[in-house]
Amino acid sequence: MSTDVFEEDRFYDVVIVGAGIAGGIVAKELAAAGQTVLILEAGADHGETWQTYRSYLDQYYMSMAKTPNSPYPNLPTLPSPSVLDITAVRGTQPDTNGYFVQKGPLPFGSNYLRAYGGTMLHWLGTSLRMMPADFEMQTRFGKGVDWPISYQDLRPYYERAEWEIGVSADVKEQTPQALGINPTQPEDNEGYFAKDYEYPMHPIPSSYVDGFFAKADDMPINIGHDDGPVHLKVSNTPQGRNSTPRRPKEKDGTFPVGNEARAPFVPRGATGAFAFMGQRCEGNSSCIPICPIQAKYNAMKTLGDAIHLGKDRLRKLTQAVVSKVEVGEDGKVCGIIYKKYPFPGVAQFDLRRVRARQYVLAGGAVENVTLALASNLCRSSGELGRNLMDHPYMMCWGAAPEPVGAFRGPGSTSSYANFRDGNFRGRKGAFRLEIGNWGWNFAAGSPNADVARLVEQDNLYGTALRGKLYHDVQRQVRLGVLVEQLPRASNRVTIDPAYRTPMGDFRPVIAYDLDDYSRAGLAAARDVCKQIFQRLGVKDHTAYDPNSAGYFTYNGKGYTFWGAGHLVGTHRMGTSRDTSVTNSVSQTWDHENLWMVGCGSMPTIATSNPTLTLAALAFRAADALKAALNQEAVA
Amino acid sequence: MTQSDPAFDAFLTISSVLTGYSPAELQGTGCAPEYWHQFQQVLSEEVRESFLAGAAKLGCNDPDAVVRDHFLSDKCHGPIARALIQLWYLGQWAPLPQDWTDAYGASRFDTARILSSRAYKEGLVWDAIGAHPMGAKQQGFGAWAMKPPAGRAGS
Repeated sequence: MSTDVFEEDRFYDVVIVGAGIAGGIVAKELAAAGQTVLILEAGADHGETWQTYRSYLDQYYMSMAKTPNSPYPNLPTLPSPSVLDITAVRGTQPDTNGYFVQKGPLPFGSNYLRAYGGTMLHWLGTSLRMMPADFEMQTRFGKGVDWPISYQDLRPYYERAEWEIGVSADVKEQTPQALGINPTQPEDNEGYFAKDYEYPMHPIPSSYVDGFFAKADDMPINIGHDDGPVHLKVSNTPQGRNSTPRRPKEKDGTFPVGNEARAPFVPRGATGAFAFMGQRCEGNSSCIPICPIQAKYNAMKTLGDAIHLGKDRLRKLTQAVVSKVEVGEDGKVCGIIYKKYPFPGVAQFDLRRVRARQYVLAGGAVENVTLALASNLCRSSGELGRNLMDHPYMMCWGAAPEPVGAFRGPGSTSSYANFRDGNFRGRKGAFRLEIGNWGWNFAAGSPNADVARLVEQDNLYGTALRGKLYHDVQRQVRLGVLVEQLPRASNRVTIDPAYRTPMGDFRPVIAYDLDDYSRAGLAAARDVCKQIFQRLGVKDHTAYDPNSAGYFTYNGKGYTFWGAGHLVGTHRMGTSRDTSVTNSVSQTWDHENLWMVGCGSMPTIATSNPTLTLAALAFRAADALKAALNQEAVA
Repeated sequence: MTQSDPAFDAFLTISSVLTGYSPAELQGTGCAPEYWHQFQQVLSEEVRESFLAGAAKLGCNDPDAVVRDHFLSDKCHGPIARALIQLWYLGQWAPLPQDWTDAYGASRFDTARILSSRAYKEGLVWDAIGAHPMGAKQQGFGAWAMKPPAGRAGS
């Protein structure tokens, strides 16, 4: 290993750090505009071809604990955080079990994946837009901060994001009014979708389980709204998985998307030679952690488009860990240093430097921050690494009075969206109740745990065992609560020279807690779930173990939360360099040619799974980047 | 192992009674040879023979009494029977308890693992619950919206 830095002779318009959805969208947009692009990815590109994607699938089948990261490589030299590493943080010593160094007081329970295609490989596919109120949390509720942009500013970019991912839904079912939300301002119901806008594909059918829950529709529930109760409604969830493409209504055969006319959507199947597979969801019931046929969107699809469009103008380099961003005396970034390793898992590498006009960090909310901190970037606001947010995820589960057909179809096809907005947000967090289709799989390890229990404890065998399994598992229902979290300076990612990877890079050091705003939201959601179960005759089996890592109390009652994998807020955008890391197009205040793109840009998390919003923000950043490059060319 | 091996036949007969699936259904998984191999690797010949001797008694009037007496409540055979049921239902070996291995011998093959990707996919649990193995044998677009299948007779 040499300590000399090898200078790359090729100079690029843009270097992008991270081959996930954010980097993929920026790369695709710039490649289409004729720019030269280099994508640096720390992981290897195992999943890109069908043969190696199959090896991911085999690893999933063979994993005893089928966790989100279980099918994918976890190199000792390039670790990813794992949900199996989460333990309670006790005393003053940080928990160093896994990749994260956890300082507590509560453990940060979310993970992500450092590999080509990124965490999109194991996302669920939920593709929700935010609500108009979510952009004005400070103005409307005196909580958190406002965004530098409004819902209407982002709306055309949401359209582009939905057409990039390939979202299956129906606009008529997705307006705040149709979702059964009491919005905090009546005009929020106006113009949620542009006139004549259509999602690219028809909705994914709702599950039989969803139909069971829909029996409680119209039930009035009051969680302290000043404007009366909401009326429960099960609503189909927009999903990034292929269904049936829409036919155009316009005479010219086009769809209006992001202020331009588009041809009808063509579903993209698996990457590589087996593209005919995965053009429609087949119900493999394993979206998390892996869609065997890639009917669920993953970022390898966008990256594949970028490579196709860019031809020799675009270069993708995997096994390249960026360890430093260099800044010149003018405050602009002048180079990126990365470690190119030839053998995955071996801490042996060459140091290389590459230069470009513009630099984009797209490694996710945590990796963007550790790299920026290691490079001493973006220090003027003091906000870098702060305001880490997630959706604290709590489950309520029970036994339905009749078979509901658990363990079939996508992980979730519907939710109760009623509580995503309302005047109660001045006092407690808004939330969404996701209806699970896989019984107690996440909640209690079903069906394996049921087999073990019936054999080892109930002493059943033969047809009685088979019958009891049918009886118990067919009735399993589960609701997941995703509550919003406010930005807090003390929920924070830092680095510490004492904690490094075998490659010498910084491990993320995380301090994390739940404030009373989120705890109150979770407690209210627990009560709503109880009421729904009472209405439907579901026997409540929910149990929160005081020994579990995510155990917390609120008003004398105990609950357990998990991470949702929604890492948000660490390099937030804003209107001032004193209170935010980037401007509203993800360009850093401190370094004119450095952009930080991804969920870290989001000032608040609201109640929507953040991928669609991150994709919209990436399109917005890409437009600004193109403008910056053009301006530079003219100058 | 061949079809005419009486020991294998006894293994299949006992497996059928313990799981509630017919020998033909068990053969249909394609996993029987693999599980028989695992069974032989984990257990000594002496233990194996005494366990399989129970097969001959199952043809009597009260097979439930035989299962409870010879298999489930027997100190030696009980843990084996329970591991065998879980192997067929989950494709996964559940290690024998330590007091069992102290008494009857340990094996380096007695570890918790999914035997093969086929074993995972062929786990009987997925059929028993009226579903399909997660990540395999998909039921087709929209099948999840349909009424679930009824439990089989005896359910």
